[in-house]
Amino acid sequence: MSPFSRRRLRNAAMFALVAIPIVVTERAFVATLRRTELFTGCMLFGIVLVLSGYRLRKTVPFLPLGTSTSWLQFHIYAGLLSFVIFAVHAGLRVPTGTFETMLWALYLSVFLSGVIGLILSRTIPGRLTLRGQEVLFERIPIFVRQLRTEAEALVTSCVTDMNSTAIPEVYASCLHQFFQRPRNLVWHLAHSQRPRNQLLYRIRETERFLSKDEQHVLGDIAERVKVKDDLDYQYALQATLKYWLFLHIPLTWALLVFSLFHLIAAMAFTVG
Amino acid sequence: MSKSAVHRPRRWDVSFSMESGQTVEMTEDDVDRILTLPPFRDLDPSGFKRTLPLRDILRNDARFVDYEPGDVIVRRGDWGSSAFYVVLGSVRVELEREDSTLQGAILGQRESRRKPLFETVAQLWRNHREPEVRIPAANETSGVAKRHQHGVVRIYLPDVSAVIENYQTTRLEAGHWFGELAALGRTRRVATVFAEEPSMLMEIRWQGLRDILRYDRTGSLKRFIEDIFRRRALTSFLRSEPLFSGISDSRMERIFPHCPLQTFGDYDSAQPFKEMIREGSDPDANEPVIVEEGDYPNGVILIRSGLARISCTHHNGRRTTGYLNPGRAFGFEEILHGWKSGTPSPYDSRLSAIGYLNSVLVPTFVIEGLLEDGEITVPDSVLPERGSQPTSSRGIDENLLNFLVDRHYVQGTATMVIDLNRCTRCDDCVRACAATHDNNPRFIRHGPTSGRYMIANACLHCLDPVCMIECPTAAIHRDRTHGLVVINEQTCIGCSQCANNCPFDAIRMVELRNPSGEMVVDAKNTPLLEATKCDLCMDQLNGPACQNACPHDALRRVDMQEAASLEKALSR
Repeated sequence: MSPFSRRRLRNAAMFALVAIPIVVTERAFVATLRRTELFTGCMLFGIVLVLSGYRLRKTVPFLPLGTSTSWLQFHIYAGLLSFVIFAVHAGLRVPTGTFETMLWALYLSVFLSGVIGLILSRTIPGRLTLRGQEVLFERIPIFVRQLRTEAEALVTSCVTDMNSTAIPEVYASCLHQFFQRPRNLVWHLAHSQRPRNQLLYRIRETERFLSKDEQHVLGDIAERVKVKDDLDYQYALQATLKYWLFLHIPLTWALLVFSLFHLIAAMAFTVG
Repeated sequence: MSKSAVHRPRRWDVSFSMESGQTVEMTEDDVDRILTLPPFRDLDPSGFKRTLPLRDILRNDARFVDYEPGDVIVRRGDWGSSAFYVVLGSVRVELEREDSTLQGAILGQRESRRKPLFETVAQLWRNHREPEVRIPAANETSGVAKRHQHGVVRIYLPDVSAVIENYQTTRLEAGHWFGELAALGRTRRVATVFAEEPSMLMEIRWQGLRDILRYDRTGSLKRFIEDIFRRRALTSFLRSEPLFSGISDSRMERIFPHCPLQTFGDYDSAQPFKEMIREGSDPDANEPVIVEEGDYPNGVILIRSGLARISCTHHNGRRTTGYLNPGRAFGFEEILHGWKSGTPSPYDSRLSAIGYLNSVLVPTFVIEGLLEDGEITVPDSVLPERGSQPTSSRGIDENLLNFLVDRHYVQGTATMVIDLNRCTRCDDCVRACAATHDNNPRFIRHGPTSGRYMIANACLHCLDPVCMIECPTAAIHRDRTHGLVVINEQTCIGCSQCANNCPFDAIRMVELRNPSGEMVVDAKNTPLLEATKCDLCMDQLNGPACQNACPHDALRRVDMQEAASLEKALSR
C-alpha cells in the first residue's frame, strides 16, 4: 500500500469516527423531541470558519502552523464532515424562505466547488505531463506570441521569396485565428484532439497544390501548429487548476457573511 | 559581412598574481625563490612539456601574498582551491574545540540561528513590502572587520592577542605548508588560519599543483603531498570505512605506503559540464574511467571527495546502475569473490568520475593479506553496510537514475524534486519562498524533467559546491551547523562569480533596495547587486517553506546522498 493510500485510509477512519457519533447523537436527540438546529448550526458555522482559515495560513508560511499538506487533508475531511452536519442541520430539501434558500444554495455551491476542485487537482496534474512540454502558465502567452511571429514570418516568406499566395490563403482562412490566442480550451479539457486533427488535415489537404519548397514551409508551419496546440492544452488545464479557486473562495466569503447573519438571527429568535 | 577578430582567451591571460585586483606581478626572481622552497627545490624541470614549463607554471599559478596581523587567510568550512607556504612571519591555526571556536560572525560567515518564536511571528510586521531591501546600518553592526589591502577586501581579526589567548590555536612558522589537502581533494578547509604577525605567504593554486604532479618525473611533490595526507588524514579516512575499522594500528602503518591518492576528472568541471548539457552531448562518454568493466580488480577504491557513476554495458550502450558518494568503496566484492574461489573475478561494472573525484586505492594484495590474516571479517552473505553498496537504484526508475546522474543532480543534498503527477502548479511554494525571503523567491518552479519528476531551479546544496570557488570575500560558504551552502549578505560584493560558476543556474543576482523601495546605487549610479539563493530556510522554525507550503505533497527536498531519502521521494 502506498503512503498516500495509507493516509487516505487513516483519515477516512478518523472521519467516520467523528461523523457517525455526531449523526447518531443528533438522531437520538431528535427522537426525544429535542431541538438540535442551534447546536448543529453553530457547529457547521464553526467548521466553515475553520475551513476558511486555510487561505490565511497560506499567507503566513513562516509561522509554525504545520504543513500545508496537513491543512489540506484537514480541509478535505472537515469539508466532508461539514456536509454531513449540513445534511443533518438543513436537510437536502430546498428550504422555503428566500434567505434560507440562498444560504442553502451557497453552502452547496461552496461544497461542490470544493469537491470539483479536489477532483481537478487529483486528475489534471497527471494529464499535464502527457502532452507538450512543462511550461510556466505566465509564460504561455509569450511562447504563443513567439510561435505566431515565426508562423507569420514563414507565411510572409512564401509571398516574398516564392511569389505564392497558396499558403497565405490557408493561413488567413484557418490558422490566423488559431495563432491569435489560446484556442479550443473546452476540447482540451475533454482531452480531445479533434480541432488539432482537423487543422492538420486541412494542412495536409493543401499540400498537393504546393511546390516542394512550399510544402517544406507548410511542414514548418504544421510543426508550429502542433506546438501551439500543446501550449493550448497546457493553458486550458493549468487555467482550470488556477481559476476554480476564483469560484470557491469568493463563495466561501459570501457563505461566511450569510451564515453569520443567519446565526445572529437564529440566536436572537431562540433567546427571544 | 564584416568580422571583428578578438583575442582568444587562454590560460594565464591573467596570472594568479594579478587576480582579484593584485598589482604586483611575479618576477623571475620570485620564481627562483619558490624553487628554493621544499618540495619545489627537488623538482626536475626537464620532464615538463615545452609548452608548459615549470617556471611558467610557478610564475602564473603561484604568488606571494603579504598579510597583516589578524588577516584571515583561510576559514574553516570554506572552499579549498589553493595551498599556502609560510615564507616569512608566522600564522596561527585555530584548533576546533566545541566550546571555544571563533564565531562565524567574526569571520564574516552568516550566523546560523533559527529565529525564536517571537521573531518568527514578528515577521508579520517586520518584513518589508519591497523586494530585496537591505538596511545599510546592518553592515556596520555585523561584527565583521574588513579592510582593503593590495586591491582586495580582507576580513581580519582586530584583536589578535585576545584571539590567541581565548581560543585554542597552534603556530605555524616559516617553512610550513597548509591547505594542500583541501585544494587537492576539493574539500572543505578543516581549520581557520590567520596571520599572527606581518607575514608573507606563497600561495599556489590547484591548477599549478595538478600540472606539477602530472609532469614532475621525480615525484617529489606527489610524495610530499601523499606523505602529508598519510600523516594527517589517511588513518581517520580509512577508519571511517567500516571495512577497515577493525584493523590494528601497526597493520595500518604497514598499509599506508601502498595506498596511493588518486585524482580523476577536471577540477574546473563545472563550466565544461554546463556546455555539455547545453550541447546535449552524452555526459557518460566524457567521464574519466576509474575502473573498466571486465578488468581484473587492482584494489578497492575509496571515494574521498566527488561522485562516481557505476554503469554497465546494455546492448550497444551503457546503463547507469548507481553512484557512489564520499566515504563509499568500490571493488571489494570482486576481490572477496576472487579470494574465496581462487580465481580472479573481474569487475562487473564500470566506475567513472562524475566531475572531479579524489580517491584512495587500497591494492588487491593488501586486501587479500588482510582477509588472510582475518583483519577483515565478512560474513558469507553479508557485505559491509557502507562498503560497496551504491546510493542505490532500488525502486527508482532506470531512466530517472540516468537523468539524475547525467545532469549531476546527484550532487545535491537538498535537491528540489517535484512530482508533476501531484503538482497542481499553484505556485504556493514560490509564494512561500518569497514571503520568507525578502519578497523575492529564491528559486524558479521550472527545470528539466524526467517522466513525472522535475528538478526545479533551486540550489541543490551540492556535495561539491563549485559556486564557492573564486568568491573573493568568501561570502558564499558552508554553514558550520547544517553544512548548507549559504551567502552572507553582509560580505557579498555582488561580483557574480558564484552565479557564473553554479552549474545549475541556481544563484541569481538581484538589485538591492532601501526600505522606501528605491534602488541602491553606488557613486557611479550603478545599481548594487547581491547574490541570492536558497538557504533552505535555515533561520526559520519550520524548515524549508517551499516543502511545507506544498498542499499536495508534490515538492520534496531530497538528499541524494541518502538512499532511503531518495527512494522515499522517488518511488511513491
